[in-house]
Amino acid sequence: MEWHAWAVSAAVSFAESFSAQKIAGYGVATVAAVLVLYPVFYLLQAALDVGEPQMRPPTAYGFDNFAALLNYPQIMLNTLSVSFAATLMAVVIGFIMAWILTRTNVPGRRIFEQLMAVPFYLTPLLGALAWSMLGSPESGFINQYWRALGGSGHLIDINTPYGIAWVMALFEGSVAFVMIGAVMKSMDPSLEEASQVIGASRLRTMLRITLPLVIPGVLGAAVFVFAEMLGSFAVALVLGTPNRYYVITTAIYQLIQQYPPRIQVAAAMGTSLFAVMFLMIFIYRRIITAGSYVTITGKAFRPGVADVGRLRYLLFAVCVLYLAASVVLPIATLLFASVQKIAVAFPAADNFTLSNFRAAMSMNAARSALSNSLILAFATATIGVALMGLLAWLIYRSRLPGAGLIEYVVMFPQAVPRLVFAFGMMWAWLVFPIPIYGTLWLLLIAYLTVFLPLGVRTIAGVMLQIDKSLDECAQMCGASWAFRIRTVSIPLLVPGLVAAWLLLFIASVRELGASILLMGPHSKVITPSIVESWFGTASELTATLALIQTLVVAAAVAVLVIATRRISTHSVN
Amino acid sequence: MTPKPHIEVENLKVSFGAVLAVRGVSFTVMHGEQLTLLGPSGCGKTTTLRAIAGLEKPVAGEICIDGAPIYSAARNINVPAEKRGMSMVFQSYAIWPHMTVFDNVAYGLRVRREDAAAIKDKVMRALALVQMQAFADRRASQLSGGQQQRVALARAFVFQPSVLLFDEPLSNLDAKLRADMRIELRELQHRLGITSVYVTHDLEEALAMSDHIVVMRDGLVEQTGTPDEIYRLPRSAFVADFIGSANLVQGRNRRDLSNDGLFALETPGGQVIYGTAYGRPAGDELTVSVRTVHLQISPQRPAGDRNVWRARVEKTVFQGDFTQVHVLWGGQRLIARCVALDPLPTGQEVFIAIDPKRVVLLGA
Amino acid sequence: MAHNKHGHITRRALLKASAALPLVGIAAPNVLSQPLSKSPTTVLDFQTNADVAKAEQEGQLVFYCHENEAGTAGIMEGFSKDFPKIKTSYVRAQTGALYSKILAERQAGRFDVDVIQLSDLAPAFDFQKKGGYERYESPQSGAYKKDHLSSPNGYFFWTGVDPAGVAYNTDKVSASDAPKGWKDILDPRWKGKISCKISASGLQFVQWYMLRKLYGDGFWKEFAKLQPHAFDSRVQLFDRLSKGDDTITAIGEYPAYILFKSRGAKVEFVAPPDGLVATPLVVGAVNKAPHPEVAKLFVDWAMSKRGQAWYQTNPNLYYASVRTDAPPMPTGVSLKQFKLLYPEDWDEYAKQSATFLKEWNGMLGL
Repeated sequence: MEWHAWAVSAAVSFAESFSAQKIAGYGVATVAAVLVLYPVFYLLQAALDVGEPQMRPPTAYGFDNFAALLNYPQIMLNTLSVSFAATLMAVVIGFIMAWILTRTNVPGRRIFEQLMAVPFYLTPLLGALAWSMLGSPESGFINQYWRALGGSGHLIDINTPYGIAWVMALFEGSVAFVMIGAVMKSMDPSLEEASQVIGASRLRTMLRITLPLVIPGVLGAAVFVFAEMLGSFAVALVLGTPNRYYVITTAIYQLIQQYPPRIQVAAAMGTSLFAVMFLMIFIYRRIITAGSYVTITGKAFRPGVADVGRLRYLLFAVCVLYLAASVVLPIATLLFASVQKIAVAFPAADNFTLSNFRAAMSMNAARSALSNSLILAFATATIGVALMGLLAWLIYRSRLPGAGLIEYVVMFPQAVPRLVFAFGMMWAWLVFPIPIYGTLWLLLIAYLTVFLPLGVRTIAGVMLQIDKSLDECAQMCGASWAFRIRTVSIPLLVPGLVAAWLLLFIASVRELGASILLMGPHSKVITPSIVESWFGTASELTATLALIQTLVVAAAVAVLVIATRRISTHSVN
Repeated sequence: MTPKPHIEVENLKVSFGAVLAVRGVSFTVMHGEQLTLLGPSGCGKTTTLRAIAGLEKPVAGEICIDGAPIYSAARNINVPAEKRGMSMVFQSYAIWPHMTVFDNVAYGLRVRREDAAAIKDKVMRALALVQMQAFADRRASQLSGGQQQRVALARAFVFQPSVLLFDEPLSNLDAKLRADMRIELRELQHRLGITSVYVTHDLEEALAMSDHIVVMRDGLVEQTGTPDEIYRLPRSAFVADFIGSANLVQGRNRRDLSNDGLFALETPGGQVIYGTAYGRPAGDELTVSVRTVHLQISPQRPAGDRNVWRARVEKTVFQGDFTQVHVLWGGQRLIARCVALDPLPTGQEVFIAIDPKRVVLLGA
Repeated sequence: MAHNKHGHITRRALLKASAALPLVGIAAPNVLSQPLSKSPTTVLDFQTNADVAKAEQEGQLVFYCHENEAGTAGIMEGFSKDFPKIKTSYVRAQTGALYSKILAERQAGRFDVDVIQLSDLAPAFDFQKKGGYERYESPQSGAYKKDHLSSPNGYFFWTGVDPAGVAYNTDKVSASDAPKGWKDILDPRWKGKISCKISASGLQFVQWYMLRKLYGDGFWKEFAKLQPHAFDSRVQLFDRLSKGDDTITAIGEYPAYILFKSRGAKVEFVAPPDGLVATPLVVGAVNKAPHPEVAKLFVDWAMSKRGQAWYQTNPNLYYASVRTDAPPMPTGVSLKQFKLLYPEDWDEYAKQSATFLKEWNGMLGL
């Protein structure tokens, strides 16, 4: 009866291996894999489809679509050049702001740090709309004032690649700031103090010591920002297309708007961006491993804040200038435009009206878009935190075999511009048996997918700060995995989870690339509806709509931040 | 009847990433005794401890508790850490900041679903044992290092585990506190009678607290024994110098000069030193360990004819409780630690002597 | 009625001349979906073959439309006002994109659309061939010429016509410099200052086709040298025109001109003597609709005098109605006063689609 005993013991050990830990771990890994790989498969399939365009599944495979890309060298070039320029500008802005706000004693540091999040929240779309009104060569307010002052022609032309890069950089600059600022905060101040003690000036210290040491952090931020720029859609759409300047994302959008849609070429274009991203990441890795850049030890430092004397006021002015250009000026411009019948720089008294507000409020799309966006943001943030929390735990803390692979899957959406990802999703979920296509559910799934890198990275950052031994000790006290998660891990993570929730909420509301392709009649959301308004209504009405929506959501976010602040302060440490 | 061992570790191998951190370690721990894993950092002692705890998965070997395997590569057994019935005190204390002191200590009992009254009773008694009962309702994050240490301890033994594991629990305390806690821990362990496995790199700690010591280096066991055995009879140069300070002398085996059960070693400088083999094999080339504290230095020639030589003082280093004297002896430097010595100027001729029983042959 | 000032014979005139069959006679043998015994009912002030009670029970209308946001919302507003119990929802996209969307959805087995309005006959024919339209004969059909109905009747109808000429900014262009005819837009002084529509626009396709026919293949090649800026909607074109971002637009739609002029914009419209290009705006009920009775009701409403009045007077639409008994447009201008240019052979026109797309996209750098 040996085989009998063997079979029983095998069955028992099989059942035992289905611990709660494994079920949760592999379950969430499967969900992530499906979310990410399913659309990518369809994207690749479309890119390699050289058969009859309308036939599904494809009748023939080949590389002809990629060959066809050679017909669009200008578009590829535009994409790369504007992304590089914008990344450079954004990193410079981010670096300067990070240095000012973390290393100098500029007045009002804490307030500025909080305010630096606002450009991120405002979205490049708003900035593009506003700067379009400010900087169009003919009708731009700045140029109108310039001409009134006696200048000729125009002072700035925002519809050029530089204009596009400038607006992109202005808004992504705040993201670069957060990343570089984090690196600067965790630097060992004694490294700089050593330089100063020897007698080097502050400037020299910054250039010779600080700068080189933060390079890996800066490079990391640059790669991240570059990925965002590659996928940038709003700014290129509003500022580029009027001037026949296309980048890959706007080209894809135009290509699939036609009848018959050029799906295959669009898919090949999108896929080509993977290659660019992987190349960037490869280069980044080579640079990082080449040098020794250990600055971040386990200890928490109080980074040295330098007294810059009179320079403080200049630096203060720089901070104010940045926030003015990225927040105050755009909002003021939109407000100015929204109260006019036809927006001009020197309006006559009879040009003022509130009719735009009345019209905007009555637009069905506006109201439903607002409520849809808020509901969607709530769902994305809540489900997202749970899903990404489990994924962060799976990748960085569990020791389940194969967990490392999931990290690649989860970070993959970062290498793909969101519009391109949504493109793959359009096909993928169109043929899905459950009818979620055209509904808010599809947008939910799309958001959860494209925000995976953001959410997992944020939660993992908090998770990794929590000493492993806290969990191991609970294990040694005899607690099962589920018990530990409930009594130790989650309570300690709460402030981090709350921060991640807010981040996902804001990211969801501001999203454009993913949602513009996936909106349906019942699932209109804010940012794409502003774009639609830009397409089809007078710019004054668009400005009004954008303003109303931004303010309503800002109010919602403010309420949430205040509400959750109580949770954060009442818990740990 | 020989008592059965409580813990048996056999040929354990644990890898850390791509590196094999523990390369085949074996030892046993008897019931109620404290065994210390001692060695320099990177020697694999913590990894071995964590493997016993179940927090690391070995790649080969066996670990048995009371004869029953909790880990066995051959039989494909690996009991999860939470089911091994052991307990552990971590180097960082791992006190949960979001709970009170009481809740921290009560955790293990709550896991075992004991009722509230029993929990309260056991927790207060455990806290009393570590003199922390006044802090029961304090938020754990508000404690000092030493206080957290005690709470961690109470938490570890409150649910009466069969084995207590210690991962360098005192290394984060300052020297004075460390010395006091050492004694307290030892008394506590005796009082509770729990089998303990203790990891440290601090020699004094190991010698003061252990029943047995396992000296480890580079993932392997160098020597096992009681503190006294290891101190008096080191097997290798490494152990000799790690456990206390020792001079190493090498030379030829002068078999023609050996008598009275002693062997004679001739140094390259021509000095002859007599020592005891203690059962170790004596080949043609010998290495002996001479503890610095056993070397006697005097300005006048001491009595006896064996192991007495002239030497010249090279320098002296005042260390408070003792003075370290460096002497030149036949072309070789020796270090002696002397207590209550009159000052010796550099260059002075002195006599050094050592009892042959204290000259230990190092061997396999 | 069938001839305009210059004796331009339109297709409708030819057909009218040859057609001798009564309207009902054409319809009757081919009506499969409507039982002949059903007689139209009157709701509000128009006749309909739809079951109004059932429609109100269905309670929803899903409308796919090429119009811009305000225009589409405007159409829905009109229908909602008359039938408050029916909730409306819409998707808008430029005709090319709209058509691709509905085809893709149908191919994937999704049938979520009740009615579709397109700004180009080519996709309408295609959709009819593919069996996308629901065959429904409206009792309103009598008020329309056969040219303005599908052939055979019941698939779609012309809910209006969107005529376009040239428009310019009066601050930047003096009356003497202003273009008088189509050929004047090729003047090199407009380089970098002239706008047009994107290739997905039905009207743009018609303009390309017609002017090519009139002036030869070289016309658009010359135009390309001006590096025009292309946009999605007429509102964008006039927005820019009124602000001076563009000096002139090659495809100024009359409805948009009326709208912006009423707001005080400094724009002027030019009706070239060779004629205004125009595209029909076609509406049809969709096959396998989720709310079939509502779809039929909408078609009848849109075709009726009531619906047509709405289409014609709503500021975001200002369509020119082709109903035989339609009143003049709000500006007082009647459609008959314009000479309209549109393709005679719609099939030949449709076949040119690929050529148009290639040339137009190439011109824009796509």
